[in-house]
Amino acid sequence: MIHFDLLKIGNSPKITTAEDVRADLELDKIIGIASNKDRLVAETWLEVLLLRDSSEDIMRYRQEAVKDALVNREAVQKMYLLAREAIEKARREVFIPRLDDPTLVVYETSKGIEILVDAVEKLLTILTSAKFSSKAFSELVSSLTENIDSEFISSARNIAKILAYGEGIDFSVNIGNYNCLKNPVLLVPKERNSLISKILSIGKEYTFSIDPRDEAGLQVLADIKRWVLSQIATTMLNAYNRLRNFFEDLAKQLSFYIGVINMNDFFEKIGLPKTYPEVNPRKLSFENLYCLSLAISTLSKPTPNTLDSDVDGSFAILITGANRGGKTTFLKAIGQALLLTRAGLFVPAESFIIPTPGAIYTHFLREEERRMSYGKFEDEIRRFRSIVDSLKRGDYILMDESFSSTNPVEASIVAENIVSALVDSGINVAYITFLHDFIYRFTNRYSKKTVLLVPERLKDGTRTFRLVRGFIQPGYAMELWRKISATLSYSTSPSPTV
Amino acid sequence: MGVGMEYKSILGERGRAADEQVLYDLRISELLEDILGRERDEFLRSLYLEPLNNEEIAVFRLNVFRDLMRNEVYNAVENFVEKIRESIDYIELEKEAYEQHKLGLHLDAALSYIEAVESFYNDLKVLGIRSQGLLNFLNYLQSIVESRSFRLMKERAYEAKKARDEIKIRVKIIGNRIKVRRYDEGKDLSAIIKNLFSRFKESEVEEVKHIRVTSEMSHIHAAILEGAFKFYRKEYEILKRFMEDFQKIVDDGVMRFAKEVKFYLTYVRYMKKVMQPEYLFTIPNFTCDGSINVKNFYNLLLLRSGRVVHNDISTDGVKRVFVITGMNSGGKTTFAISFGQLAYLSTLGLPVPATEASLPFFTSIMTAFPAREDPRESMSRLEQDITKALKILKQANSTTLVIANELFSTTTSEEGFQLARLFLSELNRKRAYCLFVTFIPGVASIDFTISLVAMPSPEDPMKPSYKILPGSPPSEYMAVRIAAKHRLLYNHLREILR
Repeated sequence: MIHFDLLKIGNSPKITTAEDVRADLELDKIIGIASNKDRLVAETWLEVLLLRDSSEDIMRYRQEAVKDALVNREAVQKMYLLAREAIEKARREVFIPRLDDPTLVVYETSKGIEILVDAVEKLLTILTSAKFSSKAFSELVSSLTENIDSEFISSARNIAKILAYGEGIDFSVNIGNYNCLKNPVLLVPKERNSLISKILSIGKEYTFSIDPRDEAGLQVLADIKRWVLSQIATTMLNAYNRLRNFFEDLAKQLSFYIGVINMNDFFEKIGLPKTYPEVNPRKLSFENLYCLSLAISTLSKPTPNTLDSDVDGSFAILITGANRGGKTTFLKAIGQALLLTRAGLFVPAESFIIPTPGAIYTHFLREEERRMSYGKFEDEIRRFRSIVDSLKRGDYILMDESFSSTNPVEASIVAENIVSALVDSGINVAYITFLHDFIYRFTNRYSKKTVLLVPERLKDGTRTFRLVRGFIQPGYAMELWRKISATLSYSTSPSPTV
Repeated sequence: MGVGMEYKSILGERGRAADEQVLYDLRISELLEDILGRERDEFLRSLYLEPLNNEEIAVFRLNVFRDLMRNEVYNAVENFVEKIRESIDYIELEKEAYEQHKLGLHLDAALSYIEAVESFYNDLKVLGIRSQGLLNFLNYLQSIVESRSFRLMKERAYEAKKARDEIKIRVKIIGNRIKVRRYDEGKDLSAIIKNLFSRFKESEVEEVKHIRVTSEMSHIHAAILEGAFKFYRKEYEILKRFMEDFQKIVDDGVMRFAKEVKFYLTYVRYMKKVMQPEYLFTIPNFTCDGSINVKNFYNLLLLRSGRVVHNDISTDGVKRVFVITGMNSGGKTTFAISFGQLAYLSTLGLPVPATEASLPFFTSIMTAFPAREDPRESMSRLEQDITKALKILKQANSTTLVIANELFSTTTSEEGFQLARLFLSELNRKRAYCLFVTFIPGVASIDFTISLVAMPSPEDPMKPSYKILPGSPPSEYMAVRIAAKHRLLYNHLREILR
């Protein structure tokens, strides 16, 4: 049996809140670049990025294949094109509108088998001339060369010929109920009628022809033919489906690497750094990490962030401070990089080290939840609850203003309860929050596990959109107040900070 | 075949046609839709529309049901009928068939018949049946099985089948030419294809279906058979002699039984479909002291739309007029119709939907339901009601059941009360039975009546429980309570409008 696995998706389902993660982390922008309008590439990327399960081994397996695909990019592109074209040609030329016409199915599938067998032959040529080194691609080469030889190709072509349109049929049959024909078995036709076999069959063969004007008779004959061919039509259809499935599988798996090639080209165009992430259970560390979706939107290098932190089992990054300071961008950059890492892809940074290749979940504030009401709060809690059901040790949860739909005093208690429980359970948290009570209490209790980040502000007050380690800052509103007061030369007594 | 015994009908006797209006009012036609399902046999349908004239025949039928309600007996009978049907179908087909097929059809008719008669006889013998109806038929079958002609037919049929099974040919179809020869050897093409493509992974398996559009018996098939018979001469002769020697196959009495017993099979099938722990059927027991005691009866038609409430009805036979009053939409009419249906089914000799059912054998069931107002009708509705009532009174006797629904409602309630009292007194005098649904509470106080009341739900007095229980009509009206709930009674309105 032919076996190859360029993706190692296994039986992993999508993460439960895949659609939220997709929207919150702007995956469509990233996939847009990878796919370059190829829908198959887009589908595969989306699937691989949002898988629930991964492991360091799988990550490394894919990383190796990604590097290999970039080295052998021409062979990968050729194979992909060949597979796509073969599928397309079969789709165009093999017409099976219904499964209740065996004659049609047999004729059409034999045509399809011929098309796909031609493609198999070409595929072998491309494969054997490339120089793959990764486990994933080497296995593809060896499995195909072991299972497919010239004998297979000629036998398959012969079957397509025997069952082609316009050929006769040869079968054995018994007599059953009502003296009707039963148990038809389609047979390999005997050698073409030689003179000797003709002479030998004299008296042993009963021959008759149907008058071409006997329409009813011809219909019956066609029906008998359909009936006999129905015994083989399912087999033929499945043989064809297997072949087509092989190419679909191949195209799908290769499509991921087509995306890799496209993404690589984008990185080069923008000048983004490219690093293959590493896993180190005691580290969370990155250097000049860029938000990929922002780079794609602006077609330029956004402000990068750097962080180096020791990890003891799990961590919490709390992000707070003035609005429009790059907090959400930072959260997205981390989320995107984590997803790319799990997929075995390179990330836009100088270096990227994470403690686990766990799954990523997001809980971002919904606009409609901004109003305070217990109804909204309950919705929010319900949504959070649905994520909690799928969380496992080593996973990541990215939260943006969670629990803002109730007053900050009680929200802080909820947040403290939830985040403490998560961190103690080995879940990593990155949380943008303005819940001052929570931040204060949590950073004190979990000082060794917590990193508090705030937007950087230079001495002259300008923003860098970079996050730095910090402490609680007054909110942007206060600043704005002062700024506008100043502009308007309006002086007030200083308001107490919140 | 000459058999000494005469067949005695499994139905006992036929009844008389039921009154169309009663069938309509009691919704018997709808019930029949459920019972008969897709069965379109007119004879069968007519049996369900013929109440029996005497109790003995009803008991005779109910005893057959007692046997058939045992699964083993039911399965044996159903299987038998199926096979006899098959045999008869073959014989029907034979009339139009080509000579070559006739040989086969005749043989198959005999084979089905032999198998049917023998296995049914053997099954039935050991099943311990008690009903006169089935015992009569068992004796009849015994006389057939033990006859010399039956044994001889069996021997020759088996010989013919063996001969037919010997025939195996090889057929080649090229264009409109067909070649037939004795089969010698050949290679199965399907196996080769399966093997060849097994190296590709299984994809989703699709089944190609062949839907025959022409007959399996045609002049083309006949010609192929002609070819087959040329190479299988001896076998042909055996088939031919069997047909000539055994022209008549199915015994007339067996044929009648197969047709008549469907009356029972259809109903048992229906009961099986309905039956659940809370929805049972029981064999009715006919009382001679005039008493009624029916427990947990329910409406079969309402079962279509979910759960149904059970009710009881009973009298020692002294009082025979039931007056049903109580809340709107409380299930009064359903109660009356359900009991009417139950009584109707019992007069056909059918099991009824209840856990216990003792009731008189009603020689007639009559209904008086409100007529729809028809402008073309010269009589007013009150006139029609009175006409109906009087027609009923003319025919009523001590074994009559009258179901009356809101009769005399198009006049003042005082007058309606007077009319009702007149009508019911007359019925009572004739010792007839009546279920009288009315919203005039006074009727329930007439001394010779039994008052039944539609009860509200214990949890929510605004909602019905659909329970109909003995008691006095309620003193408070639901409509007034609903108005109070919406603050629309006098004092409330005064307060609001102040």
